[in-house]
Amino acid sequence: MHSGFSNSLLPRNRIILKKILNDNYASYYDRHTSLHDSDYENFMSQEIESGLCQVLPENHNSSLRWSVIRRHLVGEGSHRRVSTLIKLQTQQLLSCSCELILIERLPSGVFADPFELQSLAQRGVYDDIAVFGDTNLELPSFLSNRSAVEIHLQVDLNTLLQPTDISIELPLHARYQPLNESGYSIVEFSAPDTLLRCRMKEELENSNCLFKLINDDANLYDAALVWRIPSGKMAHSHLVSIVTFLTAFLSTLVVMVTSLHYFNSRVSKDLKQS
Amino acid sequence: MAWLDIRSLLRFSAIFRVILILYGEWQDSHMEVRYTDVDYIVFSDAASLVASGSSPYNRTTYRYSPLLAFLLVPNSLLHRSWGKFLFSSADILVGYFIYYILKLQKVPENLCNYSVMAWLFNPFTFTIGTRGNCEPIVSAMILWIIVCLMKGNVLQSAIWYGLVVHFRIYPIIYSIPIILVLDPNFFPSGQKPVLRNWSAVQKERPEDPNGWFTPLNLLKSIFTWNRVIFGLVSGSVFLFCTGLFFCLYGWEFLHEALLYHLTRTDPSFAKDLPFCLFVQTVSFVAFNKVITAQYFVWFFSLLPLILPWSKMKLKWGGLSCILLWIGAQTHWLMWGYLLEFKGKNVFLQLWVAGLMFLAANIFILVVIIRQHKYSSVFKAFEYTHSKHTTKLE
Repeated sequence: MHSGFSNSLLPRNRIILKKILNDNYASYYDRHTSLHDSDYENFMSQEIESGLCQVLPENHNSSLRWSVIRRHLVGEGSHRRVSTLIKLQTQQLLSCSCELILIERLPSGVFADPFELQSLAQRGVYDDIAVFGDTNLELPSFLSNRSAVEIHLQVDLNTLLQPTDISIELPLHARYQPLNESGYSIVEFSAPDTLLRCRMKEELENSNCLFKLINDDANLYDAALVWRIPSGKMAHSHLVSIVTFLTAFLSTLVVMVTSLHYFNSRVSKDLKQS
Repeated sequence: MAWLDIRSLLRFSAIFRVILILYGEWQDSHMEVRYTDVDYIVFSDAASLVASGSSPYNRTTYRYSPLLAFLLVPNSLLHRSWGKFLFSSADILVGYFIYYILKLQKVPENLCNYSVMAWLFNPFTFTIGTRGNCEPIVSAMILWIIVCLMKGNVLQSAIWYGLVVHFRIYPIIYSIPIILVLDPNFFPSGQKPVLRNWSAVQKERPEDPNGWFTPLNLLKSIFTWNRVIFGLVSGSVFLFCTGLFFCLYGWEFLHEALLYHLTRTDPSFAKDLPFCLFVQTVSFVAFNKVITAQYFVWFFSLLPLILPWSKMKLKWGGLSCILLWIGAQTHWLMWGYLLEFKGKNVFLQLWVAGLMFLAANIFILVVIIRQHKYSSVFKAFEYTHSKHTTKLE
C-alpha cells in the first residue's frame, strides 16, 4: 500500500498534539481541553515556527514537491475509511530521515477507535498513531466532542526522487445523530494538516525540524469530503413514543393476564384438592 | 441409542467447541469479518491492563466486574484463546448442570438428554462461548445456585448468588423468586427440602396442601431463618466484592459495572423455581431497551430445565415457535444491517421490526406458559413427612 517508507531509527512518541520537539512547550492537549479550530491553528503556527529547520538547506521547501491527489470515503454505512492519496517528490538527495505526519481534525459526528488504530499501528500500517478527544465511543453525536487523529508514516527521501503516491486510510465510525427534518445529517471533513519532520542522520544539536507541507495544487484539495449519516426524523418522534409505550403496556398486560390465568387455573386446582 | 448418553453428548460438545475455537483463530487471521466477539478483545485488553497493575477501566467500554479481567489474565500470559476455553468449559458445565438438575427431579434419561441437547447444540450458545463471550460463566453460576437450593444448601447458594449479582447485575431479578421459594414449608430449618418427581406431575394430580396462600401464613413465614441467612450472606458477598473493587478502582468501577437500569419482576410462579426464573428472564430480555444475542443465553440455559414439563410437541408446536422467533429476529436484523452497513435511513422500519420482535417474544412466552405443567420443585414438608416419601440427597 505504501511505497517510499523505510524503518529508519526515528524516535517514537513524537506525537505533536501530545508532545512536541522543544520540551519547554506544552502540547495542544496540555493547553486546551477540547478541539477548536482557532486554538488549533494558533497552536500549529507556533509549532511550525519553533520547529523551523536550521539544518536543512534553505530551499528545502522548494525541493520537495507535493500534492494531495485524491481524498474520498471508502465503504458504506456506519463504518467507513477516509482515504487520502498524497504525491511526494524530492528534487535533491538529503541525508536525513523523515516522517510524514497527517493530522486529521474529525467533525463531531464521527469518531476513530483508538484501539482499532493501535492494532493497525502494531501491524505496521502506520508507524505511530494517536487519537485525542472523546474516548467514549458509544456517545451519541450531540453529547460528544470533536476528536483529532495524528498519523505518522516514515518516508525515505532517497526513494522519492521519482514522484511517489502514498495512500493513507483512516477507519472511522459514525455516531448516532440528533433528530432532524431531512433524515440525514451532513458531516463535512476539513482538509488534513500534513507535516514533514526530518532529522539529520548525523547526531547534531537541534537536528530536528518540522515543516508544514503546502499543497501545490489547491484546487484538487477543495472538494469537501461529505458523509451523509442517517438520522431519526423529528416528525416521527411522537408516533414512536406513543406506539412504543402502548405496545410495551399491552405486552405487559398480556403477560400478566396469562400468568394470572395460569395461576388460577392450575394452582388453585391444587388448593381445592387439598 | 448409545450415542445419546450424557457422557458422549458432553464429549462430543467439547470436541465441537475446540474445533470452533480453532476455526475462529483461522477466520480472524484470514477473513475481513472476525469470528471473535468484539467484547472479547475488550476483556483481553482489560486483562492485560490488570496484569500490568493498572485499572481494567482504563479500557473504554469495559463494563464488567474486575473479576472477569482477573480470570482472563492468562490471556496475556498463556495464550489469547484462554478465555474462550474457559467460557466454553462453563458452557459444557451448564449442559452437565441441566442434566444433573433434571436427574434430581427424576426426569427419565432420554428426556434429560434431549433437554441437554437443547442447550449444547443450540447454535446461539455454542457460538457465544467460542466467540469469547462470558455469559456461559453466569449461566453456570445460576444453575449451580438452583442445584444448591434443590439440595437444601442455602448458605452456599447465597454465597454464589451474591457473587453472580456482583459479576453481572441482572440476576438481581431472581432475588424475589429465590426468597419466595425459601418457604418454611419447603425448607424447614435443619432439614433438607424434598423434591417432587417429574412422574408425580405427569399424573396431573398435584396434591400439595399449600398453606402458603393465606395472608397470615405468608406473614408468619416471611422472616424465616433460611431467608435471613440467604439475604445476609448474599448481600455481604455482594457488598464485599463491590466494596473491594470500589476501593481498588473507584467510581469508574461503580459507574461502568453496576449502574444499570433494572426493570420490574414477576414473581407469580415462585414455587416452580426454574419456570419462574425462565419467564422472568424472557420478560426481562424482551422488554429491555438494549438487546444483543448474548442476552438470549440468559434464558436458553433455563429453557432445558422446563422442557420436560411442557405439553408442547416439538413437531409443529415447538418448531413453529422456533421459526417464528428466528423469523422475527432475522427481519429485525435485516433492517439493522441496512441501517448500519448500508447507511440507509430505515429507522422507522427498524422500530416496527423491533415491536414485531417484542410481540413474537411475548406470543411465544404466552404459548410456553399455557403449555407448561405447573410443578413445584419442592414438596411441601408436612405432606411428604406423613407419606414417608423418599428423600433425595
